[in-house]
Amino acid sequence: MSDQNIIEITGVEKRFGSFVAVSDLNLSLKEGEFFSLLGPSGCGKTTALRMIAGFQDYEKGEIRIGGQLMEDIPANKRPTNMVFQSYAIFPHLDVGDNVGFGLRKLGLSRKEMRERVSEALEMVELGGLERRKASELSGGQRQRVALARALVMRPKVLLLDEPLSALDKKLRENMQLEMRRLQQKLGITFVMVTHDQYEAMTMSDRIGVMFAGQLKQVDRPEQLYARPCNREVAAFIGGMNFLNARVTGENGDTLSVDVDGFGPLVVQKNPNVLASGTDILVGIRPEQLEIGAKQPDGYDAYLQGTISDVAFYGESVHYYVRCEGLDDAIVVAVPNYFHTVDHKPGEPVWLGVQNASVIDLGAREQ
Amino acid sequence: MTAVARIPWLLIYATAYLIFLYLPVLLLPLFSFNDGTIVAFPIKGFTLKWYAQLGEQETLLNAMVNSLIVGSVTALAATSLGLFAARAYVRYRFAGRELSEGLVMLPLVIPGIIVASSMLVLFISIGLKPSLTTVILGHTFVALPFAVSIMKSAFDDFDQSLEEAAYDLGETVVGTFRRVTLPIVAPGIVSSLLVTFTVSFDEFVLAFFLSGNQPTLPVYIWSQIRFPAKLPNTLALGSLLLMSSVILLLIAEYFRRRSTKSTS
Repeated sequence: MSDQNIIEITGVEKRFGSFVAVSDLNLSLKEGEFFSLLGPSGCGKTTALRMIAGFQDYEKGEIRIGGQLMEDIPANKRPTNMVFQSYAIFPHLDVGDNVGFGLRKLGLSRKEMRERVSEALEMVELGGLERRKASELSGGQRQRVALARALVMRPKVLLLDEPLSALDKKLRENMQLEMRRLQQKLGITFVMVTHDQYEAMTMSDRIGVMFAGQLKQVDRPEQLYARPCNREVAAFIGGMNFLNARVTGENGDTLSVDVDGFGPLVVQKNPNVLASGTDILVGIRPEQLEIGAKQPDGYDAYLQGTISDVAFYGESVHYYVRCEGLDDAIVVAVPNYFHTVDHKPGEPVWLGVQNASVIDLGAREQ
Repeated sequence: MTAVARIPWLLIYATAYLIFLYLPVLLLPLFSFNDGTIVAFPIKGFTLKWYAQLGEQETLLNAMVNSLIVGSVTALAATSLGLFAARAYVRYRFAGRELSEGLVMLPLVIPGIIVASSMLVLFISIGLKPSLTTVILGHTFVALPFAVSIMKSAFDDFDQSLEEAAYDLGETVVGTFRRVTLPIVAPGIVSSLLVTFTVSFDEFVLAFFLSGNQPTLPVYIWSQIRFPAKLPNTLALGSLLLMSSVILLLIAEYFRRRSTKSTS
């Protein structure tokens, strides 16, 4: 990854009638970066991707790729290529002709074309399958052909629209790692649209989270998980317990807060919050809470409650704990170390939390 | 109650319905092999002479050629128009789409005699004399709804991202149409060509009004029915037409099904 920006999007807006699909989008992507646009369906992420590809016009703002303004450049002249959600494998062509489809326009010799096709197929581990018919491909193979067909063009930017959503879970996890490796090897900028937070986190250098046409936060996956900018983003990525809190004091980078249920705690100020105030919201990840029949040692604040539900996930167990004075049950995730489920519904338990686990999410009303 | 339930009413109804529908049509080939000029039972004997005589009649052959010309040009015109219209109807949401779709389908329900007489008036008033050209124009009008519906079903299952993918890979708009759209909807095109050809080949009312002194085959047949001696010939000719129509439609259906299969 270099520091050079390959894509610069400034103030882009797209409306469909009165519906704002994308509002005031500002985004710079670095060369060689794996970037994901993450958000629920209908949030405008695909529209944004299609704008970069040249399939979607926009009313305001500008998009530059490699410094060049894209306004009057149609999709077929842009240095981008796309992997479509449906893969869009040409059904009347075999694998080799699918992958070589775009090369025809480049004025290469037959030999060069053959070489580049076979090289691209090697890259996605489909070497030697040139003459396989499109109808004979499995879901995973179609995905690879779509990838090869785009990469063979040697684009500056590869655009991926929900590239793994059509695959089953096991295959999807394999492809996540494989695509990440491929991207790092080639050093091409990948821009992926996905609604799957795990997919975004495992593959991306940075993630942009979109809601209702607005880009809410752009950050590295770890930062997004540890310092989400508001309740929406925090709830979309991983599990989160939300609690109301009042700020009682401020000291440099930290806030003294009085958290509902837990009482006084000291939290790090979150630089990403959109608005701060006295009445704030804090978040605690389920896996960062301690649970015990007796009061656990070494925590900064405690809370007592009763288990209402237990959900077994295999790798972890989720306990739902009802506490006096709190509207929502607190979720605690305990890793399944010894194949035991330690607590049952109706049991009284203690919860413990450390200062460092409490996330400042900014002003409550926003 | 139980006795009534045992009588297969539905089966009786369906059988009677089919007999009523197809018996007259089946009489046509039956009498075409009858060795006698009077179309009535009992059948006198088996002969192929009515078929053999067909090849000797020059006016018939002329009418056949006329029909082939009209059918082919109509099929090409209606299918090309239908191809573009169907793509627009399936792909784009534009003002007046439903209205225009309704208008295109209208020839299916307007009485042919109305269309025929108004077209005759229109063509004569703009100085177009009745000829094969006017028949072609009229037939294209009535064949268009068939072409549009067949092409629409071909485009319905056509993934739009296929065209986008081609364009994204550097192909031009025209190149995308040629290298991706056309080959994928090709079975639909073949099916539409065959169906619209059949529609035109069998059409009588419009051809009767618009053909002037260049009769198409159905118009020729009609003119021959007046001469009792020629009737068996006409029956033989009709049987041949019936058979070729059925074969063409079967082929068309085969292609139509293939087009839906290949794109889904």
